[in-house]
Amino acid sequence: MSNAIITHDLKKTYGKRTVVHDLHLRVPQGCVYGFLGPNGSGKSTTMKMLLSLVRPTAGEVHVLGRPMRRSTRRELLGEIGSLIEAPPAYGHLTGAENMRLVRHLLDLDQGQVQRAVQTVRLQDHLDKRVREYSLGMRQRLGIAMALAREPRVLILDEPTNGLDPAGIEEVRDLLTRLAARGITVMVSSHLLGEIDRTASVLGILAGGRMLFQGTREQLFSRSTPDVLVDTPEPERATTLAGRWNAVRDGDRVRVPGLDHAATAHLVDRLVHERIPVHGVRREEQSLEDVFMDLTGGRGL
Amino acid sequence: MMGAIRAELVKLRRSLSWAVVLFLPLMAVVTGVVNTLVSGQPPGDGWHTLWMRIVVFYGLFPLAAGVAVLASLVWRVEHRGGNWNALMGRVTSSLDIVVAKTTVTAALAAALQAVLVVGVIVAGKLVFDLPGLLPPRYLAVSVVIVVACLPLAALQSGLSMLMRSFAAPVAVALAGATVGTLLLLTRVEAPSLLLPYGLVSRATQVGTGAFADDGSVALPALGVLVAVALALTVALVAGAAVLLDRRDVR
Ligand SMILES: Nc1ncnc2c1ncn2[C@@H]1O[C@H](COP(=O)(O)OP(=O)(O)O)[C@@H](O)[C@H]1O
Ligand SMILES: [Mg+2]
Repeated sequence: MSNAIITHDLKKTYGKRTVVHDLHLRVPQGCVYGFLGPNGSGKSTTMKMLLSLVRPTAGEVHVLGRPMRRSTRRELLGEIGSLIEAPPAYGHLTGAENMRLVRHLLDLDQGQVQRAVQTVRLQDHLDKRVREYSLGMRQRLGIAMALAREPRVLILDEPTNGLDPAGIEEVRDLLTRLAARGITVMVSSHLLGEIDRTASVLGILAGGRMLFQGTREQLFSRSTPDVLVDTPEPERATTLAGRWNAVRDGDRVRVPGLDHAATAHLVDRLVHERIPVHGVRREEQSLEDVFMDLTGGRGL
Repeated sequence: MMGAIRAELVKLRRSLSWAVVLFLPLMAVVTGVVNTLVSGQPPGDGWHTLWMRIVVFYGLFPLAAGVAVLASLVWRVEHRGGNWNALMGRVTSSLDIVVAKTTVTAALAAALQAVLVVGVIVAGKLVFDLPGLLPPRYLAVSVVIVVACLPLAALQSGLSMLMRSFAAPVAVALAGATVGTLLLLTRVEAPSLLLPYGLVSRATQVGTGAFADDGSVALPALGVLVAVALALTVALVAGAAVLLDRRDVR
């Protein structure tokens, strides 16, 4: 699988503060890449460097195999749709007028504009002024403006920010449909839950550094989920499994960080001590749990 | 480039700019008329006097302030929300963006002049019952004023591009108009023409005999004004485009 976006040692310093450190981004073609990190971790700054809106202090950006620099950006930007920090749009104009403006600007045909509007399901709200749009509608209009040129790469900075659950679901569904069309979608968020399950590849940023980059499976395989033992005698079982740092969790015993061999050993000991075992399983992990592991419990 | 200009025209819908285009020249006309009525001196030299009383004053400060306000209005929407990121994140080149913004500002400045001319004619006929119509020489002068507004539009557009503040570029225009007027008062014509504020003021004085003007409308002199205006415009637009391209978004 080739990469749509690659960076080498990408770095940005404001004054004496380095806000992005030696980033090696790898965004595979045709995937939804979730770019996660708390507020202020450098997501927007990184995305701005990908678009050459901000010049890197050091390092390089390649988009679709070509270097992205000030001198080359306008040509490359034709392949990229973007929405950075806040949705664009002119509040005093209607949705239709905003789309017409983009059509003139990018020399598009009516069909392209119509398809973009239908993709974000905004066709029934085009005659309203954008000032009167809800935040969700504004985000969708912004995405339609970014989509109109039928880009191969879409860079969306927190498109779910401030949306209600239904709005978030709508954007997620949209991203999945776009990726199914072969568009590479890079989407950032400071909330794990908002792009959990939508993104197949994740980049996790904290303090301007990449903590993890890879598929969801790779991320999950990095941490060992707790083993849960269901037993009618949790007290005895907890004592027995004390040397594996077991803790009692209601009617269950929870044992963290146990590998396969240790799990087998634990079961063997329980059986040997005649403690009835009703079930042994690994806890189902959410991305949140994995992330807690990764950051040493700080979370996003 | 045409696409960028057409996009700018769409943005003018429901814009406050049209109110400025209508009211600023009308204010100048009303002020000139009221002053004339209050002074009790009818426009002795007919259209000529009326033109001088209205247009020369208008050219000293209101015109520069008006074009500055229009440029700020034209750029204001770009400084909002994600618009700047979107503007710079598309294929449209920095030069095309600057040319489109300057063109729209200059077109609005031309509309100012058109409203002013209509206002002078209406005042001349209805208030002072002047014979005939405005002499054609003032239409020629109006064309020169419109051309002289090009570098002003380019400069103010550039300032409003660089400054997020709405008022700061207008303050710069007022300061610039003051310097331009002082230069014209001292009758050092050359430097005053190189300053866009001095250039528009000078253009509004053509044929009136005010300040450094000799009262004639001569082709060579107009040619110089037009040539200076065009050269300044090219330089200012090119400069603004380079600045825009080099700048990072915030
Ligand atoms: N133009 C700028 N000048 C100075 N500091 C900036 C600038 N832009 C961003 N920063 C700082 O860089 C850090 C990362 O910001 P940002 O990329 O916006 O983070 P995120 O998008 O992840 O919330 C923040 O601490 C922010 O204050
Ligand atoms: Mg951000």
